[in-house]
Amino acid sequence: MKAEELFKELNVEYEMMKVKGNEDPRYRVKVNADKLEDIIVKFKENGFRHFVALSCVDWIKDGKFELIYHLFSYETLEDVFLSIYIPRDEPKYRSLRHLFPQIETYEREIHEMFGVDFEGNDRLIPLILEDWNDMPPMRKDFDTEKYAKEKYGSIPPVEGGDEE
Amino acid sequence: MKEFELFIGPQHVGVTGNMMYHIWVDGDTVVKAETNVGYLHRGFEKLMERRSWLMNIALIPRICVPEPDVNEAAYAMAVESLMGWDIPERAKYIRTIILELARISGHLLAISGYAGAIGLYTLPNWAIGDRDYILDLFEQLTGGRVYHIFIFPGGVRWDLPDGFLRKLGKVLDYLEERMKLYDEVMFRNEIFFRRAIDIGVIPKDKAIEWGVTGPNLRACGYPYDVRKTDPYAAYPDVEFEIPHYPKFGEFEAYGHGCDCYSRMIVRRLEIEQSIRILRQVIEKIPDGPHILKLPNPIAWKVPAGYAYARVESSKGEFGYLVISDGGKMPYRVHVRGPSYTHGINVMEAIAPGLNIADFAPTAFSLDVCPPDIER
Repeated sequence: MKAEELFKELNVEYEMMKVKGNEDPRYRVKVNADKLEDIIVKFKENGFRHFVALSCVDWIKDGKFELIYHLFSYETLEDVFLSIYIPRDEPKYRSLRHLFPQIETYEREIHEMFGVDFEGNDRLIPLILEDWNDMPPMRKDFDTEKYAKEKYGSIPPVEGGDEE
Repeated sequence: MKEFELFIGPQHVGVTGNMMYHIWVDGDTVVKAETNVGYLHRGFEKLMERRSWLMNIALIPRICVPEPDVNEAAYAMAVESLMGWDIPERAKYIRTIILELARISGHLLAISGYAGAIGLYTLPNWAIGDRDYILDLFEQLTGGRVYHIFIFPGGVRWDLPDGFLRKLGKVLDYLEERMKLYDEVMFRNEIFFRRAIDIGVIPKDKAIEWGVTGPNLRACGYPYDVRKTDPYAAYPDVEFEIPHYPKFGEFEAYGHGCDCYSRMIVRRLEIEQSIRILRQVIEKIPDGPHILKLPNPIAWKVPAGYAYARVESSKGEFGYLVISDGGKMPYRVHVRGPSYTHGINVMEAIAPGLNIADFAPTAFSLDVCPPDIER
């Protein structure tokens, strides 16, 4: 089933993303966070069986995180990007790992890198970082340079190297 | 019998790079596996937010070491989408040359890794040696052997040097001859049949839902390839087939598909198809400019918006989601690497039931590349 027909049925508005190089159409849709699961299930039942990725964007000026669920259909060759917005001061959403198993890993990474909590995912253990005790590093207000200076700047490269 | 734990990696010949599999074993059968990554995390996505659009080109090839060019191509295509640029025809063909050479070199590395894991130690040496001829071509074309920093938004950096296409043709002839020897040593070898057929099976009905892409998906019988499903560069102009189970041509389709055997045969046949594509490109490459006239690189501003570009790497779908807020630097870039699903949830799901000795070949047959998991 074509994405446009599904959008019509679900009564959601979409915009087209610009494409050069590739050829398939890409649709971007802002959806209500409560309805997201039903919409993904609907798309999955209608050919959009390839879950490409889950991305998170920190819109710090608006005080929001954007979660982008990206689906692809091998039948109609269309990409759909479903965006939801969650508040930045209390970032919480429910886990959708029962729909596609790889969502579990994406949620783990976003929990670690952005601090978003996914209820229902009991495997939100560290994925990439080790012994991390600062704020989630992919947030826009995390300053890599300052962190590196504070953490490593005061340590001389070799023992006793700062002595005259 | 009580289970015991085993760590495969991060320093181990049986893993495909700097990553670790933590496995629980009963006797010599794997009962559970967990992937542990993070040894290569360099925070590229964060670094890209602090660098200009053009500076990022020098950064991103590092995201996939064995096949860096897919990063440049996907990123360049995403930026071109936001800018609304149509690149010159000649640039499309030069990109195709680069991407296909990178695919052959990626497949040679995958074959060498797999052959080493099943004890055929001749092939790794041959494949690494043959890959060097491709690196020579890259050096002549781009100046770099491993990282090329050659595909730019708007085209490619330089035109082809004199005599490059002739040399490319010779290397293709050489590789085609070598493939016959590869077949004798590995692809028609009883050891390979016994170690690969019906080992490490991905359930066919789950393959798409699990996010399997590339040769691993085609080994499950789905003829999906980004070069056909979402064409880019000069691929619409050239003819090629998509090898998939059970259409293996001169090779027997042993087993039930979705196994190590099918995955390696698909890679073997794709080298042939890449050679075929490159021969057509040598014939058809048009004259003209190789890059658009670009604005001042220091003051580059990319219009606000979202763009997603994908290419077919030797490992599967490689995609870049690029978000711009209209500034001189990307606002956010998300890299979708094929190994993210293959290396973590697929490997964890198919590992239980494997013999310990089959664990490393299965990991190699999925062609997992850890740098694109953790970026």
